[in-house]
Amino acid sequence: MAEKHNHDHNHAPMVEEISDFEVLEIAVRELCIEKGLFTIDDHRQFTEYAHNIGPLPAARLVAKAWLDPEFKKLALEDGVKASLEVGIDWITSPPTDFGTPSDYCDLRILEDTATTKHVVVCTLCSCYPRPILGHSPEWYRTPNYRRRIVRWPRDVLSEFGVNLPEGVNVRVEDSNQKCRFMVMPMRPEGTEGWTEEQLTEIVTRDCMLGVALPHPDRKHNAKRPIHKAINPVHGH
Amino acid sequence: MANNTIEAGKAAAAAIDTSSIEVLEGIRDKGRVWEDLCEQYGVKNPTPPWKMSLEGMCDALSEANCALPPVERRWEEDELSEELYLDVPFPERQLLALAHSMIRRNLVDENELAERMKIVDKRLNMV
Amino acid sequence: MNRSHHADKATGVGDPQCFKGEAGPAKFKAGDRVRVKDLPDIFYTRTMQYCRNVVCEVVIATHESPAAEDEAWDNCDNPEWFYIVRFKQQDLWPEYPDTYSNDTLQTELSERWLELV
Repeated sequence: MAEKHNHDHNHAPMVEEISDFEVLEIAVRELCIEKGLFTIDDHRQFTEYAHNIGPLPAARLVAKAWLDPEFKKLALEDGVKASLEVGIDWITSPPTDFGTPSDYCDLRILEDTATTKHVVVCTLCSCYPRPILGHSPEWYRTPNYRRRIVRWPRDVLSEFGVNLPEGVNVRVEDSNQKCRFMVMPMRPEGTEGWTEEQLTEIVTRDCMLGVALPHPDRKHNAKRPIHKAINPVHGH
Repeated sequence: MANNTIEAGKAAAAAIDTSSIEVLEGIRDKGRVWEDLCEQYGVKNPTPPWKMSLEGMCDALSEANCALPPVERRWEEDELSEELYLDVPFPERQLLALAHSMIRRNLVDENELAERMKIVDKRLNMV
Repeated sequence: MNRSHHADKATGVGDPQCFKGEAGPAKFKAGDRVRVKDLPDIFYTRTMQYCRNVVCEVVIATHESPAAEDEAWDNCDNPEWFYIVRFKQQDLWPEYPDTYSNDTLQTELSERWLELV
């Protein structure tokens, strides 16, 4: 393949080779379409949908709830209706017009209090509130997390850097059916007088899964150790 | 580990043949994973460009028919991720697991996939 | 599971919204103490082993939908009510420490899986 030399200093770096994985994805997709497993249109619509989802709407929902007691009440009573106010329609946003195959249309928002800290999991298969929170992170999908968070939640939370003060109880939500859950964490100190935009910035995805607490100085999810084998297994 | 549904899922997934598939082993061994490519080229995107298309595929497969039901695909992905593809980073692992499931279920033939990859590779690398 | 056969009734309405009104009155209400039955799994279930035979409290009735065990076989004729139920962690796991006796776990089960105690 011809090398490309880029002399434009403003041009963002690009990966200039095609990996076997990229080729594999295309090959599988083309074969699926040819065999009628799905149509090119369906794939395109779902891919576009996948591109468009992210955690911002959920973060904004939490920020709005912190600022507006009436909206908070709505959010806790009817998560689907509250989602509309941050631009997410669980029913018609996805391509199908009746919810996606794995997300359905019943969002429930779990309110953390001074005495209860929530954390979300799907032990069966890693169901996730994608329409409003975007794609699930790798750690959420691992059997390691799914097995352990239900049984040793405090240990796992501690590994995520969350150590709860005395008097705070942990409530694990195992989303095993059609309901989808996100956490509304408590508004942290040091955010008095903040705007909705400012508050939105500190409500990270991990806060809304329950494995992080919002903090005025934190706008990003912490890097999680990737589960990689120290001694990779080659063949069997 | 106490009996729970992850184990039940694994048992169901264990019904699938998780022994290695030659064409996928080839990719696993010499394919360049996104994190390595990013490091080499100084790219910061956390996910490879084909990741969303893969998500689209998983959704399209769930929606369309019973050929590969989503929960079974996930259980097989779990099983394959803990064994055969343990040392492969996440999005690549998810992709390999999907291809593996499809081959084992006879939705896609291994040789057919190898052939198609050659054609796609040629097409993408034509400058 | 092929969902397209209830696309007609669900389009623009949502799933599980499309099953609203089909299950009749809910058998349980918030506050009820119930036990999770250990029904035989024919093949597919979404009732985790860890909660079988454990007593819990009904938190809320969520929606009507075919039970997962039926829907997996495309049998959507008999929707039932679903409930979020709450367990004490100490009732689920023998080694769960007394220090954290107020820790709980919630999950969702359909009506057939529950019985009043």
